[in-house]
This record gives sequence, structure tokens and C-alpha cells, in this order.
Amino acid sequence: MGKVITIAKKDILFELRTKRLLPGVLVFALLAIVIFNFAFAASLETIRLLTPGILWVTFAFAGILGLNRSFALEMEDGCLEGLMACPVSREVIYLGKVLGNLIFMLSIEVPALLVFGFLFNIAVFSLQLLAIVFLATLGFVAVGTLFSALAANTRARELVLPVLFLPLVIPVMISAVNASGLALSGESWSSLASWLEIIAAFDVIFLVTSVLIFNFVIEE
Amino acid sequence: MKMLPKTLLLGGSFALMLTALCVIFLYVPTEEVMGVGQRILYIHVPVCWLAFFAFFITFLGSAVYLWRRANSWDTIAYSSAEIGIVFTTLALVTGSIWARCVWGVWWTWDARLTTTVVLWFIYLAYFIVRFSVTEEWRAARFAAVVGVVGFIDVPICALAIVLWRTHHPGPVIFEGGLTATMLMTLLLSLAAFTALYILLLWMRASLKDDEDEVKRLREVG
Amino acid sequence: MQNLGYFLAAFIVVWALVFGYVLWLFVRQKRLRQEIESLRERSRK
Repeated sequence: MGKVITIAKKDILFELRTKRLLPGVLVFALLAIVIFNFAFAASLETIRLLTPGILWVTFAFAGILGLNRSFALEMEDGCLEGLMACPVSREVIYLGKVLGNLIFMLSIEVPALLVFGFLFNIAVFSLQLLAIVFLATLGFVAVGTLFSALAANTRARELVLPVLFLPLVIPVMISAVNASGLALSGESWSSLASWLEIIAAFDVIFLVTSVLIFNFVIEE
Repeated sequence: MKMLPKTLLLGGSFALMLTALCVIFLYVPTEEVMGVGQRILYIHVPVCWLAFFAFFITFLGSAVYLWRRANSWDTIAYSSAEIGIVFTTLALVTGSIWARCVWGVWWTWDARLTTTVVLWFIYLAYFIVRFSVTEEWRAARFAAVVGVVGFIDVPICALAIVLWRTHHPGPVIFEGGLTATMLMTLLLSLAAFTALYILLLWMRASLKDDEDEVKRLREVG
Repeated sequence: MQNLGYFLAAFIVVWALVFGYVLWLFVRQKRLRQEIESLRERSRK
């Protein structure tokens, strides 16, 4: 467990020092929200209805951007070989990266939520919405980390990651969008339950599967 | 390819398909509400079933390939994936024509069609990954990862999609809304198409073996 | 005959695709078998 945190810390410290990734992706997310506003050119009521969709599309694409770059940077500096030379198991590497990516994604999503709430006068910081964001992001990152490692070893990594990632996370997207919609309308936890169950099941299943299968993606 | 089993398979699936076609066209009575168009179901359902079954075989082949590293399993996975994407495309086309027939629209985001679209994209991901890696062994391995992870995703997708919407006349088939004759026709068609799938799998796997042989000979020579 | 056109369309599409695919498999296999033969000939010399 300690090793997992160490690997995550390494990625986070690297990012904090170099600031290569976070600012760009954050700006992308904020721009996406603004562009969606122009794209829909709708009344405030309509935007309220569209909020879940806008949020989750933005998060999905910002996630792809961030994940793509994160493994690309690893490979650029030869960090991956160095990491694999260390006496840590592949599973630990995967989990460490998942944790790092999770923190990265959340540090994009929280400001984005803040800005969204500010621009459209929507109360975004409910416990329900935060729970949805956390669980769904975990799902994104579980699948995304596995596939970004895979895509980094292909010729067309910018194409491969979205093509792999987006179909696979459809259950999370559907559930997150629907649950977010309910949460923003102030519905009770019980109405969210079935959606949250799907996301939670997705998280568990794909974390376990990816841990088992990660070795096949990065071995030489 | 051994001659006797191959001939049996070829002949058997041909006979089965011919029988099924006769039954679909001539024997089964026309349903009152939807008219002749309802017969599309006898093609759409088997094709749909095979689209998913083929992916299951790809999943099995991929999993065993990752575990055992034996190329024959990758050949099965790859061949089934190719046949699978063909059948998935057919499922989407026949489903679309069926939708036009029954609901008057060319497309509808009902549960079964939507899940089939997702399946199509997962198949596509399998091939895009396969063709975007330069080393052969790595391409096979990565594709196998997609085959395994993708298949695990399908039931969860279906669950989420069903929860999101229900529109497809699936219940008609499973609630006994079919007469005995219709059910028999459907099962016969199902058997015929499954035989076709097995035949295609055999042919495609044999073709893949030849492709690999050519590559091997080119490298050696 | 209500909706006959649709039924025939579905039918034709399915069989055209299946038949086309089988044909492609046959043609490709024949070409590959020829190439295997010629490659083997060359390596024997």
C-alpha cells in the first residue's frame, strides 16, 4: 500500500514541479464549458437540463487529454523503464498510477464544477454530486490508466485511446449523467441508488480486471 | 483442413440454411399486425445472437491466449472478431430495417440496438489496436487485452442501457408471444446461422494460418 | 403484402454481405496458397 502511495506521490510531485499537464487540461475543461454554452445558445432552464451531459462530456474528454499526455510523458523521459526496474510488482505500478490519475482528474473536475456553478447559478456542491463525481472518475481512471499504457505503445496513440476508452466507459457515462441530473434536481439518495450501484460495480470489476491484466500491457 | 469434417460442416450448414429459408419464406404463417415484415425477426434475432456469441468466442480465445501464449488461440480470437463485426453490422442493418417497419423510423435508441452499437465500437477498437502496433506479438497481445476487457464491459453496458431505456419488442419473444410455429422457425434459423458461424470461423482461422505461414516464409527467405 | 419490400431488403443485405464475405475468404485463400507455393519453391532452390 505504501508503495502505491509512493508511486502516486512521484507523479503528483512531478506534475506540481513541472506544471506540464494540469494547467493545459484545466483550461481545456473551462473552455469546453464556455463553448458548450455557445453551442446550445439556450435559456438558463435548458442549460440546467443539459448540465449533466455538458459536465460529463467535458470530464470525459479532459480525462482523455490528461491520460494521453501522462503516459506519453512517462515514455518520453524513459521513466517507465526505470519504474519497471524497481522491485515493485506491476500491480502496484498500476494502482499507483490510478491513484495519481484520480487525484489529477479530481483537481480538474472540482474547479470546473465551481466555474460551472458560478456561470450558470447552479448549486453544484451537494454531497450527492460529489459522490457521483468521485465514483465515476474512479471508473474513468481505472479503465483509462490501463488503456493509456496500452495506447502509449501504439503508433497512433491519440486515436487509440479515445477509440478504446469511450465505448468502454459508456455505462459510467450513462449512470453518471442520469444520477447527476437527479442529484441536481434535489432528488433523494434512494433514486440515485441504482445508478450508483452500476458505477460502483463498474469500478470494482474494472479495477480488479485491470490489476490482473496490466502486466500484459507493459511487459517487454 | 481435414476433408471429411469440413465437407460435413459445409453440407450440413448448407442443408440447414436451405431448410430454414424455406420455412421462413413459405411455411410460417404471416403475422397479422406487422405483415410480411415481421419475418425479418427470423433473420435479425439469429444475427444479433451471433454478433454477441462471436465476441464471447473472441473473449475466450483472448483470455486463453494471454494465459497460454499459444498462437492458435489468438487465431480463433481474431477470426471470431472479424466474423463478429460482420454479424454486428448485419444486426444493426436488419435492426434498422425492422425499426423502419415497425415504428416508421430508421433508428431508435432502444436497449438492444444501443447495446449492439456499443458492441460494434468495441469490435472496432479491437481491430484499431491490432493494426496500430508494429510488432506482431504485441499487436496480438494488446488485441487480446481489448478482447477480454471489452467483453466484460458488455453486460454492464447492457444493464446501464436497459435501465436507461426500454423500447425493443424483446418481450414478445420471451413472453411466449410467439406461436409454436414461429418459435420453431426462429430456433431453426438460429441453428442454421450458428452452423454458418462455425463454418465461417473454420474458414477464417484457416486463412489466418495461411497468412501467418506467408509471413513466416517471407522472413525466412 | 404489407412491408414485403422491407423484408426483402433485409434479406438481400444479409445474404449479399455473407456471400461477399465468403467469396472474399475463398479468393484470398487461393491467392495465399499460391504465394505459399511459390515461396516454398524459392526456398528449395
